[in-house]
Amino acid sequence: MSLQAILLVAAALIGLGLYGALSQKSFVMLLMGLELMLNGVLLIVVGCWSRSTDGDPKGQLLAIIVMAVMAVDMAIGFALVTAVYRKRQVDVIEGLTTMKH
Amino acid sequence: MVSGTDLAFWTLAAIAIVSGWRVFRTDSMVRSAFLLLLSFIAVGLIMLLLRAPYLGVATIFMMGVEMMVMALFMVMFMMNPAGLNPMNMVHQERFAIVAGVLAFAGLAAAVWLTDLPHHPLVAGRPVIRELGMELLGRSMLIFETAGVTLLATMIGTVVLSSRSGRFGPADAGSLPPTMTPGGMPAGRIPKKRSGGHGGHGGHAPSAASPTAGEPAHGHANDHPHQPPEHHA
Amino acid sequence: MPWLGTLVLLGGSVVFVAVIDSLAFALIAQRPPVNLMRDALLAPWRAVAVSLVRQQNRTEHPDRLNWALAPALYLALAGIGLAVVPLAPGVAVIDAPTTVVLWGAVETLTVIAVFLHGWSANAPLPLIGAYRYAAMGLPIMLLSMFVLIGTALPAQSLSVVDIVASQHDVWNVLRQPLGLFLFLLLGLSLSLRGPFDYADSADLAGGTAGEVSGAARLTWQLARHAMLVAFAAMASSAFLGGYLGPVRAGPWWLALKMLVLITLLVGAGHSLARLPPSRMLTVLWTVLLPLAFLDLAQAGVVALW
Repeated sequence: MSLQAILLVAAALIGLGLYGALSQKSFVMLLMGLELMLNGVLLIVVGCWSRSTDGDPKGQLLAIIVMAVMAVDMAIGFALVTAVYRKRQVDVIEGLTTMKH
Repeated sequence: MVSGTDLAFWTLAAIAIVSGWRVFRTDSMVRSAFLLLLSFIAVGLIMLLLRAPYLGVATIFMMGVEMMVMALFMVMFMMNPAGLNPMNMVHQERFAIVAGVLAFAGLAAAVWLTDLPHHPLVAGRPVIRELGMELLGRSMLIFETAGVTLLATMIGTVVLSSRSGRFGPADAGSLPPTMTPGGMPAGRIPKKRSGGHGGHGGHAPSAASPTAGEPAHGHANDHPHQPPEHHA
Repeated sequence: MPWLGTLVLLGGSVVFVAVIDSLAFALIAQRPPVNLMRDALLAPWRAVAVSLVRQQNRTEHPDRLNWALAPALYLALAGIGLAVVPLAPGVAVIDAPTTVVLWGAVETLTVIAVFLHGWSANAPLPLIGAYRYAAMGLPIMLLSMFVLIGTALPAQSLSVVDIVASQHDVWNVLRQPLGLFLFLLLGLSLSLRGPFDYADSADLAGGTAGEVSGAARLTWQLARHAMLVAFAAMASSAFLGGYLGPVRAGPWWLALKMLVLITLLVGAGHSLARLPPSRMLTVLWTVLLPLAFLDLAQAGVVALW
């Protein structure tokens, strides 16, 4: 379990997440793609912390911040989905052609 | 020579990647939310192998809640949450595949070409105690900033998603999307309440109904509409 | 060895739950007291036999995989929950530095197991049960975590082993009396009982379990009982000193406290009324959650003092 192997796995997760975020029509599925990318980021942070910093606690702090970012992006994402659904009754990205309300 | 840790790592990595891929390949939205959770659980267990006991378990804990909420939102908003009638929910797929592969290739090349420093975690280091001391010690400002950001998120979420607002209800005048450009809105359009039940064809009184054939039948339109009974 | 002890504890307590459950039911139904005890002792085994010979129910287009996995997941979570509880000083199946957080993960995944059970039947009443449970289970889990952090403060550790050890002089129930009460609500919710049974209740004709029969139903009921046992073990360890006792600390004290808590919870499940879901949600978010904050603050003050 070298650092290279961990980072490769994380890269695969990020690639999959990017594919999902770009290819899915539904807003909620787009959010799932973003979450999968953040999953890879979290693995990178923890892998680097464990393998190349002597276990500096600041690495763990960074992982906690990544988790907070995940929570924020989910919450705001769902709020936006709800707002868009109220206005246009759609949950697909094609339903949005303007950023105006 | 493969050690037990290596074996566990590659198994978990395979679970994380395969379930992460199946997320976008299954028709049932609830399944795909919980496949994503499986991917997170596998990554959390990898973190345990990396001797991050708090972060690994906390990831599983947090993602469990998140994916439960995710599944609820899926069912709430999506047309076909159970995947009972398969439909195409993908656009610009070729571009997305190329982008995903390029991202992976670029990151993998970066990993391969970089001379990564090797300073592994010293065994016996009290990592949880150190994390606590870091969070509420030197890095308290950062941690508290994250807390305030979460508070701002809560307020923003309520504001964005609430129906009532300063300029009237958020869904005022909202119409379903059209099937063809410039066509009629699809689906049900809320109408003004009228006496009749236009739209509901085949509203013959059921023979099984005890009131069938009674004089009150003539007032059928005044009764609340009852769906035809289904007998299994 | 902790494996064996935990398994014995699990098996014995599950039988105890089943017996006390049917006894409580018979007492409330005011059956003639002639064969009360014998009936209660036999009823669980009769239920097992009936379940085993009954054929499996089928619905239209169920999510077969998840329908089969949900009871197994529920049972496995109960096992993990029980495994973090120490049977004697330093003796637990899972002895990690973050077992309280692991217990939190068990609570979360339980909500998911129950939701999946209701969802995958592809029938209306189970689905309603699943939704109601997801709405109730998440806030109850939140407040239980605040309460548990309150028990981790005096121990200065996230390990259940250390939390029990920290109660050598005074039990946590005295340090935060409100905590045990709030935590017991979680027990009713985790094992789908009485006032917190929003998933499998009678008003939904059995809710998430309404469409299952045969071995699958048996597994589900077993998992519910096992989850109650795991919860009782956790509650006794977090608040009542676990294996600690006036003389000769050991697993017998833990078992005794578990039996008391199980009896209490089964009795509460049979005798307390349930609020309508919307009112319960209001109570959870506006009364019980602030109470949990208050409890945590009070536990923090006590821990500092």
